[in-house]
Amino acid sequence: MDASTSSLETLLISRIRAGESEAWNELIARYEGRLLGFVSRRVANRATAEDLVQETFVGFLNSLPNYDPEQSLEGYLFSIAAHKLTDLLRHEGRRPTMPLVTEDSSDGWQPVDRGRRASSIVRSRERHGLEESALVGAMAEMIAHWRRRGQWERLQCIELLWVRGWSNKEVAARLGISEQTVANYKFETIARLRSAIHGQGLPEEVFPELYQ
Amino acid sequence: MTAAFRTTDLEAYLDEALPVEEMTRIEKTLRDDPSLARQLAAVIARRDSGMISLGEVWRRHRLSCPTRQELGSFLLGVLPDDAAKYVAFHLEVVGCRCCQANLADLMNQQAETQSSVESRRRKYFQSSAGHLPRSE
Repeated sequence: MDASTSSLETLLISRIRAGESEAWNELIARYEGRLLGFVSRRVANRATAEDLVQETFVGFLNSLPNYDPEQSLEGYLFSIAAHKLTDLLRHEGRRPTMPLVTEDSSDGWQPVDRGRRASSIVRSRERHGLEESALVGAMAEMIAHWRRRGQWERLQCIELLWVRGWSNKEVAARLGISEQTVANYKFETIARLRSAIHGQGLPEEVFPELYQ
Repeated sequence: MTAAFRTTDLEAYLDEALPVEEMTRIEKTLRDDPSLARQLAAVIARRDSGMISLGEVWRRHRLSCPTRQELGSFLLGVLPDDAAKYVAFHLEVVGCRCCQANLADLMNQQAETQSSVESRRRKYFQSSAGHLPRSE
């Protein structure tokens, strides 16, 4: 999000908070098309998709007191739309309801005993925002650096590894580069992020992927 | 036998952020395969414990998403080659749902009639304006 978009959104939100219906109209005009595009990919019925967008806007106004203008408005609206979509798909039986915890973790991770776990949750909630924002800042700076220098291959490589969870081998095959190059990009990126995180005095255990 | 799903994909599934075809594949498998439900529950538990996955943070904050203006330029074919290749990669290989939605909207803007757009926006306004904060 660029600075002009951000200041425009901040102004729009403050006008909506003041109850200005014209500002609300502007927000609808600005975002309804992309929200409809988002839900329509999962909901074939046009009327149902429009209803979901409508519920997203109502949900936004109801949650307005909790909205932090530092957060991207578009991202916030998409996250409300995603929740509404999930609810609908659950209601229709397309999306199974999930248990909240498991005793049999198939990927090797097990919660520690309940007492420790509860305090960990409290601690992590207190620090979570700070830690995440430190990581976001470091990653955003790194990505901006790659873009400025036209290092698109590196960006694609790390995005496939982390956002899509592909293996080094899969990424190498997709990008037409060697596995060694993938490993080098990964190593350099992790080193850079570790240095940024370490510089801010944040604990290693919050970002286990950086210390594996 | 479970089709293999990556933890990263399950995180994206929980956020309704995975490409549509893969969302559907997970939903279908979940109905028949209790081991996938357990795998998903483990992902939820790990999230609840406060652990942060790099992919989750990247995706949630949309760290590499092109701007809407860049998507418009991509659609018009006026982005520099390398940047255009990256946008195509982000849309098609990464399968970013938010950027796909923005692109669909930009394409629809050229195709839809003004009256149908206005009628839809009026409906949204009329159904939500009652929830606006009261002006002071």
